[in-house]
Amino acid sequence: MIEKNVDVSIPIGPLHPALKEPLRIKLHTVGERVVDAEVELGYMHRGIERILKGKPWNKAVYLAERVCGICSNIHCMTFIETLEKISDVEPTPRAKYLRVIVNELDRIQSHLIANVSYFLGIEHETLAMYTLDVRENSMDLLEMVSGNRVHMSWNVLGGVRWDIEDHHLKTILEMLDRMEPRIRRYMGMFEHGPLLQLRSRGIGVLSYEDAVKVPAVGPVARGSGHPESDWRLRHPTYRDIFDFKAISRKEGDNTARVLVRFDEIFQSMNLIRDAIDNLPKGNIQNKGRVKAGEGFHSGEAPRGELKYFVKTDSAGKIDDITIRTPTRLNLETCARYMLAGSPSIADAVAIYASIDPCIACTEG
Amino acid sequence: MIFDKLKNFVRRKSFHVTYADAGSCNGCSIEVLATICPRYDIEQYGIFVHHPNPREADILIITGCVTEQWKTKLKELYDKIPEPKVVVAVGSCACSGGIFDQEGKRVYPPIKNFIPVAAEVPGCPPRPSEILDAILGVAPIVFKDYDKKEANK
Repeated sequence: MIEKNVDVSIPIGPLHPALKEPLRIKLHTVGERVVDAEVELGYMHRGIERILKGKPWNKAVYLAERVCGICSNIHCMTFIETLEKISDVEPTPRAKYLRVIVNELDRIQSHLIANVSYFLGIEHETLAMYTLDVRENSMDLLEMVSGNRVHMSWNVLGGVRWDIEDHHLKTILEMLDRMEPRIRRYMGMFEHGPLLQLRSRGIGVLSYEDAVKVPAVGPVARGSGHPESDWRLRHPTYRDIFDFKAISRKEGDNTARVLVRFDEIFQSMNLIRDAIDNLPKGNIQNKGRVKAGEGFHSGEAPRGELKYFVKTDSAGKIDDITIRTPTRLNLETCARYMLAGSPSIADAVAIYASIDPCIACTEG
Repeated sequence: MIFDKLKNFVRRKSFHVTYADAGSCNGCSIEVLATICPRYDIEQYGIFVHHPNPREADILIITGCVTEQWKTKLKELYDKIPEPKVVVAVGSCACSGGIFDQEGKRVYPPIKNFIPVAAEVPGCPPRPSEILDAILGVAPIVFKDYDKKEANK
């Protein structure tokens, strides 16, 4: 036990007006200044990895995407890509493009809701409502393409579940053109709003050295000037076909993280436009079966690097599975480096919201 | 008599809704959040849903299958809400355990084993309009003739 000169320890959570999910944060404070923070998990553990063991792979897809409800598609995609890596199945060219379209639509809605919860965290409800309204448009696109708003089961072994019709592709392009000026306006409101910046700029600073030490992943790392943390740079489709470049900012404060998310929304829109313009014709599924073996694979979830380890047997059943989600690393970074320097307790909530935490992912 | 009728009429238009996540995948949580957006707009019915604060709530929305930690805490949370109160279970997990109610589970569904539930909204996840429909469905019965019932106790 380390002796600390602490005035009072303030618990936030598990049920707290500012938190969407149950989690306890203990803040050790001197006056209003936070000197140290602890995070206590354990309210959301459902044992999903244990349920997955022994399941046939086609049943495991539905379970894998229910690890997280916000970034559901990337869990499905990474799990299927791990299986494809194990059993040497390649998706068809058209399926590669369709996967990118749905993955980036999912990223748009996830980044928008992350910024909504940050704006609610600093109690700016107007901007939060504007952003939440734009998000409904992207949810409409997802529903039109896949038939469901949240859990889509879009990827199957060797391809995607069904094709996107041409008139649906046209609707996607029209809707993106309608969303883009609105999101640019809200980004400008945030970037140039004096009161919003008073609560955001210079708060929760994470330096580059600290970001690579833990390491932080996703927009948290890219807000601290670490563009290599984007795993889409190493993804074969993004790397070879789309010539993907990652976005980063140097400041490392709350403003930088929110703006990185806004910038990535526009980047995702351009990726979708690229994919629709160059969409090849052909089959959407390759035939194949799951072989015995084991393998690692990483994908870029909206919150950062998502890592799957899967071991299968010859009947196509899951022998062993381990899922490491991005928030696990970001929570550690948040508690140790960002919350600990927080100038006031009110800012601690905003800093916590700015890392876009997803506790359901983390505990699994 | 007229006064009672007036009370019933007015009280069905002023509600506080609190919200707790007892181990869902966040899918239902973001659909509950989507009900406050300008398209569905739960506030036009006089319902305030923003903060998970049980002390001043009338309706408790619970999502998710019950995890180990929530087994005892659900009853505590329910007791903190002042009378009258109703519970709406949102999502297949809260109604029956859904996809998590399988071999190897660490969850103890359904919610109604722990606290009384007034309405259940199935779906994985249900649409925001369905959640809104359930909340509006229980809204008139919560406060109805509450003073008479209290007096007869």
